[in-house]
Amino acid sequence: MRTRIRALSAAALVAAALVATGCSSGDPTPGPAGGGEVVLRGCTAQNPLLGLMTNEVCGGHVLDVVTSQLMRYDAETAAPVYDIAESITTDDAQLFTVKLKKGYLFSDGTEVKAENFIRAWNYGAYAPNGMAQATFFEPIAGYADLQCPGDDCDANKPPKEELEGLQQVDEYTFTIRTTEPTSNMELRLGYTVFAPLPEAFFADPKSAEFGRTPIGSGPYKVTSNTATEIVMEPNEHYTGAFKGKVDRIVYRIYDNDSSAAWADLLAGNLDFNDIVPGDQLVGDAWIAELGQERTVVRTSGTIEVLTVSPNDPQFKDNPKLRQAIGQAIDRETITREIYGGSRTPATGWVAPVVDGYLADQCGKACVYDPVQAKIDYDAAGGYQGILSVSVNGDGGHKDWAEAVCNNLRNNLGADCIVNLTPDFRTLLNQARDGELMGLFRNGWVMDYPSIENFLTPIYRVGAASNYSGYNNPEFESTLTQAAAATNLAQANELYQAAEAMLAQTYPTLPMWYRTTPAAWSTRVDNVVVTKMGWIDATQVTVHQP
Amino acid sequence: MTDPTHPGPEAMMGSTAGEFVVPSAEDQAAVAEVAGLDKPHSLGSEAWWQMRRRPMFWFSAGLIVLFLLMAVWPSLFTDADPRYCDLTQARHKPSREHWFGTDIQGCDVYARTIYGSRSSILVGVFCTAGVALIGSIVGLLAGFFGGWLDALLSRVGEIFFAIPTLLGGIVILYSFPSRPDTPYAIVVGKVVLAITLLQWPTIARIMRASVLQVMPHEYVTAARGLGARPGRIIVSHILPNAVAGVIAVATINLGVYIALEATLSFLGIGLQPPAISWGIAISEASRMGFLTSAPHMLLFPSVFLSLTVLAFIMLGEVVRDALDPRLR
Repeated sequence: MRTRIRALSAAALVAAALVATGCSSGDPTPGPAGGGEVVLRGCTAQNPLLGLMTNEVCGGHVLDVVTSQLMRYDAETAAPVYDIAESITTDDAQLFTVKLKKGYLFSDGTEVKAENFIRAWNYGAYAPNGMAQATFFEPIAGYADLQCPGDDCDANKPPKEELEGLQQVDEYTFTIRTTEPTSNMELRLGYTVFAPLPEAFFADPKSAEFGRTPIGSGPYKVTSNTATEIVMEPNEHYTGAFKGKVDRIVYRIYDNDSSAAWADLLAGNLDFNDIVPGDQLVGDAWIAELGQERTVVRTSGTIEVLTVSPNDPQFKDNPKLRQAIGQAIDRETITREIYGGSRTPATGWVAPVVDGYLADQCGKACVYDPVQAKIDYDAAGGYQGILSVSVNGDGGHKDWAEAVCNNLRNNLGADCIVNLTPDFRTLLNQARDGELMGLFRNGWVMDYPSIENFLTPIYRVGAASNYSGYNNPEFESTLTQAAAATNLAQANELYQAAEAMLAQTYPTLPMWYRTTPAAWSTRVDNVVVTKMGWIDATQVTVHQP
Repeated sequence: MTDPTHPGPEAMMGSTAGEFVVPSAEDQAAVAEVAGLDKPHSLGSEAWWQMRRRPMFWFSAGLIVLFLLMAVWPSLFTDADPRYCDLTQARHKPSREHWFGTDIQGCDVYARTIYGSRSSILVGVFCTAGVALIGSIVGLLAGFFGGWLDALLSRVGEIFFAIPTLLGGIVILYSFPSRPDTPYAIVVGKVVLAITLLQWPTIARIMRASVLQVMPHEYVTAARGLGARPGRIIVSHILPNAVAGVIAVATINLGVYIALEATLSFLGIGLQPPAISWGIAISEASRMGFLTSAPHMLLFPSVFLSLTVLAFIMLGEVVRDALDPRLR
């Protein structure tokens, strides 16, 4: 009897559900777009889900829809469009007046006001708070006063707690004054680090709870966050222009293995995957399997580099050795054989999708010449002992890393081995803590479409993503000049000059520019892959059964 | 049960099971007097005579010799360097130049398959040696002394016996991961230790049972009566007569251990690159996309692995048949 009652009640539930959703069981046409659940491939975020902390894509993909900023980047062109900002005006590229839209709400129902920006940015820039992304606030006047004297926050407190360059005019207006003229300020303001933070955050800024289920002003909010998946549901208070279509976004975490996610995509358990395993790329097997209509290869603002460990004594002050290693890597063959042509050999440190890109900035280290490489390698003293190339095991990087090692072994006689870390977070943590020797992988997905974004956050002293420990005063001053340049051509020229300086010491060896090969399930439509190489989760829709 | 007290001339020549049937001269005399038996053949020599009549023995032994040669002296089979990989030659089909084709990195599959035998044989041999040694000692002590020692050792054995080997192996190797710069001997050693730790109770049980079977025999009682110490009784009388079952099972298990190593390596936690092993090669080659673009990558290491496991299991069966008179 018991089973029968269950069966009956299940049938009643289904019937009720059908009535509720307005579907009749005989309806052959798909229902209206909207609703449903999409499952996206995810990875473990390194830091709490806070724009001020998140400088890697695993957490960034979640924040993309959970926060909103003054600007938002268009999915197709990555051009910035107004989001929370009603307008941003400036006469001299140094004093910006920001007017906010009224009635823009956080997911807890409180309104986004000028104060939420000012307090969030002050908090982010104030060094004792230890926010990883603090250097993004560097252009704003008074940033230096929020840093700890002697970089020792235990002993010395910064002289001020608030950025002098931020002034509230009224509830919905504030001004940003930069130390130097900053021509691309508007462009930068769409990055998640510049998101406003609600009152609730400041009540307890160190709250682990906020880092797990943050309160943002984006179209979605995080409703649950576990080690295996992050679930997002619509922010019912959202009034912005980028409202999402689906009722539930599941960010399912796949670590260790890119083929598990791929198998799930084929089985229909995963709706979107932006990592195609190496074996599928061979001969475009993945496109043959899924068809053109479920796949796309998107040119994105992404570059992959091998960072020379700043802690490795053998590489210290030995640019010739670094160059010889770069020269011995056959990027052309690796991109063709391992990646089926879905990567383009890099000839510089800036991806070709941005304005200001200049080819061949990297010089000799990016041109394959095994004979010269061997001569230079020996002249530079060679690498003694085991040279490790560290990559994360969850991103499908093992194959190319092995190919690189084979190049170094065959062409230079270096004793090269591949060191796999279980996930991306581990790789970044080990890199940050200086545990990695030899070479390690770093990828850079642009935060905003600018040549500047490929240089400042990665090679400036103190930047969170400066894993190579690059420190060159001349480079710094050129960046400052470039930021201050009044016209774009002049700015680009200065940025290019700064980029060229990297070729003097090779803190990193450019490998290739990535395209993002992405695939999706039969359940979803309107899949738009952005220039940042990720799905625009606000546009995707699900077929109604 | 054959009495080993009068070894025939064949046994003295040191054949397969020769060593353990040679008791000391004074014992021979002592026991021969009591037992009063006079047989021309020892257990070992008789087993040898049994085995060499069977074609399966020669087939499996031939294969094993071949794989042992590969493991000890791989350059005998190939000039190619298994670590030299040329990406421009990636995923070539088998050809005159590359007999087994090339893999995704352009390495010669033939060379890697030949060199891969070393890891498998090493793991197999060391695991068997370790398991047989620990298992035999524990089994002997438990069976011979009995009482609380037997209870203790048997319970400890049961604890390990209860852990599924693959699961236990995963847990152990996951807790002590190898890094790529870990020396080869340590990488292999970890796998050997993990398998040995989980497998010894099998042998211990067999040994204990055999010991209990041998104990009531007259020659044991006689030796005891003549004042022999436990050590001497074990070494001269118990061990030689109880070891047959252990040898048979250990030989069969050698193949099983090789398969287990390949399974662990396939899962990515056994041997680690840059070590070359069939398990790793199979793991690499069995990714979906490569099954269609380069099936030979999977085929050859799998065939070699299967043949090795098969050879040891077949040999084990022949040995078991030869050592156990009841099966004749």
